[in-house]
Amino acid sequence: MRDHHPHLVLVGHGMAGQHFLQALVGRGPAAWRITVLAEEPRPAYDRVKLTSWFTGTTADELSLWPDGFADDHGIDLTLDDPATAIDRTARTVTTRSGRTVPYDALVLATGSRPFVPPVPGHDTPGCFVYRTIEDLEAIRARAGAVGTGAVVGGGLLGLEAAGALRAMGLATHVVEFAPRLMAVQVDEGGGATLRRKIEELGVVVHTGAGAGGIEAGADGTVSGMTLTDGGRIDTGLVVFSAGVRPRDELARACGLPVGERGGIVVDEACRTADPRILAIGECAQAADGRVYGLVAPAYAMAETAAAGLAGDAAAFTGADLATKLKLLGVDVASFGDAHGTGEGALEVLYANSREGVYKKLVVAPDGRLLGGVLVGDTEPFDVLRPLAAAGTPLTTPPEHLVLPAPADGPPGPVTLPDEAVVCSCHNVTKATLRAAVADGGCTDVAAVKRCTKAGTGCGSCVKMIGTVVDAELASLGTPVDRGLCEHFAHTRAELFEIVRVKGITTFSRLLDEHGRGGEGCDVCKPTVGSVLATLNPELGNSVHILDGEQAALQDTNDHFLANLQRNGSYSVVPRVPGGEITPAGLITIGEIARDFGLYTKITGGQRIDMFGATVDQLPLIWRRLIDAGFESGHAYGKALRTVKSCVGQTWCRYGVQDSVALAIELELRYRGLRSPHKIKSAVSGCARECAEAQSKDFGVIATSAGWNLYVGGNGGMTPRHADLLLTDADHATLIRTIDRFLMFYIRTADRLERTAPWLERLEGGLDHLRDVIVDDSLGICGELDALMARHTSTYQDEWRATLEDPERLRRFVSFANAPGTPDPTVRFLPERGQIRPARTHEMAEVGTP
Amino acid sequence: MTPRTARPLRIAVAGAGMAAARLAQQTLAQAPPGTVRITLYGQEPRAPYNRTLLTGVLAGRYAPADLALPTGTAAVHRATDVVAFDPAARTLRTSTGATAPYDVLVLATGAEPVLPAGLHPHGTPGTGRDVPLRGVHTLRTLEDCARLGEDARHAGRAVVVGGGVLGVGTALALAARGLPVHLLHRAPHLMEHHLDAGAAATVRRGLEAAGVRVRTGHAVTALHGGQRVTGAELADGSRHDADLAVLACGVRPRTALARTAGLTVRSGVVVDDRLATSAPGVYAIGDCAEHRGTVHGRAEAAWEQADVLAARLSGARPQARYRGSFALLRLSAGALDVAALGDCTGEHGPDTDSVRLADATRGTYKKLVLRGSELLGALLVGDLTPLGDLTDACERGEPVPPDPLHLLMTEGASL
Repeated sequence: MRDHHPHLVLVGHGMAGQHFLQALVGRGPAAWRITVLAEEPRPAYDRVKLTSWFTGTTADELSLWPDGFADDHGIDLTLDDPATAIDRTARTVTTRSGRTVPYDALVLATGSRPFVPPVPGHDTPGCFVYRTIEDLEAIRARAGAVGTGAVVGGGLLGLEAAGALRAMGLATHVVEFAPRLMAVQVDEGGGATLRRKIEELGVVVHTGAGAGGIEAGADGTVSGMTLTDGGRIDTGLVVFSAGVRPRDELARACGLPVGERGGIVVDEACRTADPRILAIGECAQAADGRVYGLVAPAYAMAETAAAGLAGDAAAFTGADLATKLKLLGVDVASFGDAHGTGEGALEVLYANSREGVYKKLVVAPDGRLLGGVLVGDTEPFDVLRPLAAAGTPLTTPPEHLVLPAPADGPPGPVTLPDEAVVCSCHNVTKATLRAAVADGGCTDVAAVKRCTKAGTGCGSCVKMIGTVVDAELASLGTPVDRGLCEHFAHTRAELFEIVRVKGITTFSRLLDEHGRGGEGCDVCKPTVGSVLATLNPELGNSVHILDGEQAALQDTNDHFLANLQRNGSYSVVPRVPGGEITPAGLITIGEIARDFGLYTKITGGQRIDMFGATVDQLPLIWRRLIDAGFESGHAYGKALRTVKSCVGQTWCRYGVQDSVALAIELELRYRGLRSPHKIKSAVSGCARECAEAQSKDFGVIATSAGWNLYVGGNGGMTPRHADLLLTDADHATLIRTIDRFLMFYIRTADRLERTAPWLERLEGGLDHLRDVIVDDSLGICGELDALMARHTSTYQDEWRATLEDPERLRRFVSFANAPGTPDPTVRFLPERGQIRPARTHEMAEVGTP
Repeated sequence: MTPRTARPLRIAVAGAGMAAARLAQQTLAQAPPGTVRITLYGQEPRAPYNRTLLTGVLAGRYAPADLALPTGTAAVHRATDVVAFDPAARTLRTSTGATAPYDVLVLATGAEPVLPAGLHPHGTPGTGRDVPLRGVHTLRTLEDCARLGEDARHAGRAVVVGGGVLGVGTALALAARGLPVHLLHRAPHLMEHHLDAGAAATVRRGLEAAGVRVRTGHAVTALHGGQRVTGAELADGSRHDADLAVLACGVRPRTALARTAGLTVRSGVVVDDRLATSAPGVYAIGDCAEHRGTVHGRAEAAWEQADVLAARLSGARPQARYRGSFALLRLSAGALDVAALGDCTGEHGPDTDSVRLADATRGTYKKLVLRGSELLGALLVGDLTPLGDLTDACERGEPVPPDPLHLLMTEGASL
């Protein structure tokens, strides 16, 4: 296809390359004919979220290549055919397949390659790097055959890799040459806190040691790794994650200058020494002499290059290396001068080893915030980073910025000065955001993003933009966007109605038709997952939460249908309705716990928890439980937990009704009902209230004339006495009212809102609730009844369904070790005749396999 | 116990320092009138005084008279040492040649400054003098303090050798008098027996803010000078010019008297829980005493020992026992407040937790060390507001709240 447009060739289709394309086409009608030469067999995908592939995110979901993007913009994308040479005189690029592509402008976005230290045996089968989806596929294949994995490199990516190995059930080691983990980002104290938290998860950390050599076993694959400190790890899998090197070989070969330590030298406009060739992202050495390995600077460079090619002036002069991420479940962030290297820099510190929190700020003698390190609690990051970038003296005592947030919320954006840069990718200040709202007429985050470009780079500031926009709207007296998150302008209750009324069955359709763009986040995905789970019967979906697209929406606990415990093991909780259990049932649980070496504890919910199971044991344990007639107790779900009961009239001299029978009936009726938060219940057989029903989401107390129904109670951190909704109700009225109460709550509550705060928030309170669900003032009781009827008639035990379906079961077996091999990441010690998780300092005593 | 007779119990005290004064005052206050008679024999030419405030006198915050300690009706023999005693005969001999009988002898001979062997001037080895150069001082007595104060009025620059409590206090006091001061300390951080690195760094910044320049990590190997000191040389070969030097390198118990009399002596004079030495009728308290293997060397411990012994000797609590003192160190020197209680330094076991709250912009550093709900120790620099609560929790073993952070929060920072 030849046309009059000049020809632009993009070499490399990673995150920087794709962002460049989007920035370029976003600048208006096509001025360029674009050819993309990609090395990988698939279009650009989100490498930052690569690790989520191990927990069910598919390659398609990771893709950054929108459907129709190529056609819409006339882009010719060739996969699996990397450029191999550049002829600057002829202005052509040659590819591996021998194709020669002419260019008028050339953009190099070749990224970087993992650095593999040249230790003996580094290419033994069983050694991997961690960069592409193909790498991950190979790691997963190997992980199924070995018990232990080691990661060389304790930086950001190394810890990601370690998290992935651990999630696959491997005993995991991290080997870091520096004296602490994440040495670039965090200081000594932060590194110690990080280490302690990671060791608590069972990961063995070796610092101050490098890989000495890789040993091969009889089959020629990895069997172990020696360390430079003389140690040795018995491991069948090694992941090298010891940093990256810019891929500048194309540029070197055609005579373009590269930096001393690699990276194609570019100026502030991302131009190389050849004015027709630009370089962006990790392959480039920016104008400030640095090679950036983070996505935000790569995106900023992509936009600079796009602006330049569109004829606009733009400059990339350098970026803050601010980082905020979650590694192995530990929140870590650093920004600015995190190590306090500046002249006279003063430290402000809050460190609490019990909470696993380490927060340090670096403050200049004149009171300016220079930088900081946050481990275990990165909540203040969104405020601190712009404060540091603002370069003005702090107005808040710095101690307040590191102490745990008080009950009335953390210091918000109100404390930010107007000149604070909220979006560092696009250099957008708080003042600009406020002006977009006050003068530009923007009323939501999406509009502000369009208007200011803030939040369209790496996206890490979007939450902060939301707070600034809300605060500004509030100060102008404009109604504030109550949307769930940046992806949905609706509340959970509104989404529930949309899903129900329009019969939407998937998250992606809901996002397409009712979202504000983007891909969803940790807030909206589980929320919609829960809504769909409630409405599945109504929608005609599979009612199993691990089916189809639903699986990727679930929280960790739902993911494995079990509760994750502190050392990485899981607990198993079969349902014991009403707390009634036969001697044979007790014996079954006892035998299973004994055979699998589980710790048993009788819970406050009148059932028996079994602790210490590994992922691969879960299906085996549940097989035996289900064969004995047990079913899932949903202890892992945002769902009904238990209905507790006293022994009732049958045995108790005071009882006036059969509380046990009613408790069993209620528990079986509402089991598996997905809701905004967990639901607890109890039934007491007389006014003595031995079952503590008034501390439950719904509680029933027997009277001589029937049942009293209490709703909206709570124990836990903020106890609330339940309110009396019905007095002396008969059985049918009681059940009907509870049905409606639960469905009305599920329909209208916010995410993670228990019934107690929901009822407090409900306009009109208890009287309004009674109007709606007893007197049907809104005329919705028929719908509520129908929803509950659908739930009770389609209920199926998730564990039974999982065991019957090899496809669902694969989730467990594919992550498991060879059957019968104990998971060595999970270690226990005896205590009071049972097991308990080994504490960090005891790991060494228990031994490394 | 010594049986009571019609005549008063004669208690002789070798030493007239803080422990001796406290013993006299407490015993006389509790004993029935006329039942005890106490005599103090002190080396110094003045009545007992509070030695812990000497740096305050040097800084000009106190007059010497402000330091006087009460001794009740005890007889105080000044400039009179006990030079020997006979436990069998229960008699003692003084430096004035007098001999006196006693029923009970209490050794409260205190401690004396340690002078490191290397600190002799070039060119005058083996002079035999403890303090060989003019301009070189120790600070243990009010006389030392007066000499140092007088010398400091004419000196141009000072070095303080030793970064413990006394050295830090002395350096601050000299700086407060306007003298350029270098504090030289051999360990990598100041007050290393009591503080962790973070607290020590905070103290150091406090010192520097007060005008004291601090060098750590190198021992002083020599003092230079002819007639008068001209400087100090460090182990790394560097030199610090000074015409005034204060040696604050620690103290050792004075045990010669006890040793000569044949009492059991290790680091200090060994005493049991009754504070009794190995000789009948002879007790030891204060900086010279070693109890359960520990020489406390702190005024609070000396007073607690004096109180127990006073309770026994006065008959108020004849069975009273001393079971050791809780470790509490406190330094208040001008702008710098430091407290260390319990054990807060070194490596903590894996079952212990620490909570730290530090704000270098305000010069504060606060730390708790916990095992479960038990408070093992605490450090406070720059803000002693929580000290009372923490001392209670630490000393009485009271459990700390589940969120111990608020123990460290002060008025200004409370949210």
